[in-house]
Amino acid sequence: MIVFEHVGKRYGGRFEALANLDFRVRRGEMVFLTGHSGAGKSSLLRLIMRLERPSRGRILVAGHDIARLHASQVPFYRRQIGVVFQDHQLLFDRSIYHNVALPLEIRGIEPREAARRVRAALDKVGLLHRERALPIELSGGEQQRVGIARAVVNKPALLLADEPTGNLDPQLSADIMALFEDFNRIGTTVMIASHDLALIARLRHRTLRLREGRLVADEEAA
Amino acid sequence: MSRPSPAPRGARSQRTRSASRLRAWLRHHRAMSVDSTRRLLRQPLGSLLTMLAIAIALVLPAALWLTLDSARLLDAELDASATLTAYLASGVDDGEAGRIEEAIAAQPQVAHTRLVTAAEGMAEFQQALGLADALARLDDNPLPASVVVTPVDPSPEAVRRLSADLGQLAGVAEVRLDLAWLERLRQLAELGRRVALALAVLFGLGVLLVVGNTIRLAVESRRQEIEVVMLIGATHAFVRRPFLYSGAWYGLGGGLLAWGLLALGNQWLAAPVRALAASYGANFAMPQLGGMGSATLLICSTLLGWLGAWIAVSRHLAGIRPR
Repeated sequence: MIVFEHVGKRYGGRFEALANLDFRVRRGEMVFLTGHSGAGKSSLLRLIMRLERPSRGRILVAGHDIARLHASQVPFYRRQIGVVFQDHQLLFDRSIYHNVALPLEIRGIEPREAARRVRAALDKVGLLHRERALPIELSGGEQQRVGIARAVVNKPALLLADEPTGNLDPQLSADIMALFEDFNRIGTTVMIASHDLALIARLRHRTLRLREGRLVADEEAA
Repeated sequence: MSRPSPAPRGARSQRTRSASRLRAWLRHHRAMSVDSTRRLLRQPLGSLLTMLAIAIALVLPAALWLTLDSARLLDAELDASATLTAYLASGVDDGEAGRIEEAIAAQPQVAHTRLVTAAEGMAEFQQALGLADALARLDDNPLPASVVVTPVDPSPEAVRRLSADLGQLAGVAEVRLDLAWLERLRQLAELGRRVALALAVLFGLGVLLVVGNTIRLAVESRRQEIEVVMLIGATHAFVRRPFLYSGAWYGLGGGLLAWGLLALGNQWLAAPVRALAASYGANFAMPQLGGMGSATLLICSTLLGWLGAWIAVSRHLAGIRPR
C-alpha cells in the first residue's frame, strides 16, 4: 500500500527532517509510528498526504509515484485517504452532521446516500444522537470521534492519524485506538503516529520507530 | 438465461456517472449560491456599503456615457439640418432669383432648395431681431435675396465641395456654411467619449479592487475551513465557488444600486434640463438607459464582481497551503 524508497526530506536546504527512509506497509496492515516530538512523524505523514514532496527518493501509494501527480490530480488522490488530526480540525460553524458530511459534499455524493453514510459513520463512533450539536458543545474525546467519523465516511483504503489521542485521558485513548482497530479489521490500512508508548505496547501492532529523521526500529507485532 | 453483454452496460454506467457528476455539480452551485446569499444577508450593513462603493464607481462612467449618447442623438439631428445659404448678388431681381434657384436645384448634390427673396429676408430679419422700427426707417432694402440649400450628403467634405460649386454659379455672391461649430462639437464629443472610456476602465478597476478586497477578507476569515476542505480533497474550483458567487452578488447589487442612482439623478435633473432646452427653443429629452443599457450595466457589474472575486481567491489559494 505504502512504499518508501530512500526517502529524504530537507527544509530550507539545511535542516534534514527525514533521511533515507526505506519501508513498506502492506494493504490491510495496522502500523504505529513512534518517536519523540521532532523525530519526523508528522513530516512523514505530510509526505504521504502529498502536502509536501520528498527531496530525495520515491514514495509509492497504491502503486502510484505520488510526487508525479499533477497539482490538479492531488485533490482526487487525497479523497482516497482518511486523515485524523490531533486538533480534530472540525469546522466550528456547522453541526456534527455537516462536519462528517463534508468529504461526501466535496465528492458530490447525492444527499440521501450521503445522509445514510454520515449516520453509519456517526453510529460507528457512538455519536449518532449528537448529529445536530455544534462541535463546541462536545468534549475533547467526542470531538476526536467526530474527526474519525469524518475520516472514514468516505470508506478510504488508507487511514492516517497524527497523534489522535494526544490530549485524551488513558481510557478515552484506549477507546479511540479500539475504533482504529475496528476499521483495520474490515480491511482499511491504518497508520497512526503517536508517542503514547505504553498504549502502543499494549496494542501489539507493527511499530516504526523514528529518531532524528531516521528509521531506527521496525518491530513486527509480537 | 442470458447475461447482459458487458459493453452497453459499461457505456450506460459511464453515462449515469457523468450525469450524476453533472447533478452533483449543479447541486453544489445551487448550495453555494444560497449559502453566499445567506452570508451577505448576515452582514447587511457591510454588504450594502460594499455594493454602494461599487455603485458609485459605476455611476460616473455610466452617466457620462448616457450624456454622450444623447449628444450623439443631437449630432444626428444637426447633420440632418445642415444647410447652406447662397446669397445672391445685390442687383438680382425676384425673377432672376427664381431662375438661379432652379439652376441650384438642378445640381445633383442638392436635395432641396428654398428661395428667400429680399423682401422675405427683411421680414424674417425684422421678426428675429425685433428691430421693425429701426429697419422701417431705411429707404432701401439692403438685404440680398438668398437660396437656402439642403445638401443630399450632410458630411462636412461633401458640403464644402457643394459650397465651392455653388460659388461658381453666375449671380451667386457668397455661400455661407456654418460648419465650424458643428465640427467643434463633434471633436468635443469624441474627446468626451475617450474620457468616458478611460474613466470606465479606471472605475472598472476600482470595482475589481473593492470586490477583491472584500473577498480577500472573507477568504481570510474562512482560512481554516479552506485548509480543512483542501486537506480532505477539495478542488480549487470547489473552494473558489462560494467566493465567486459572493463576488457576483456584490457586483449585481452594486449594479442595481447604480441603476437606481442613475434613475434618481435623471429625475432630479430632468426639470432644469428641460427648462434650459426650452430657453434655446429645443425639445431635449433626458437620456434614458433603456432595456439594453440596463442589461449591459447589470451584466458588466456582475462580471466585474465575479472577476474581482476570482482574482482575490486565486491569489490566496496559491498562498494557502494546508499546514
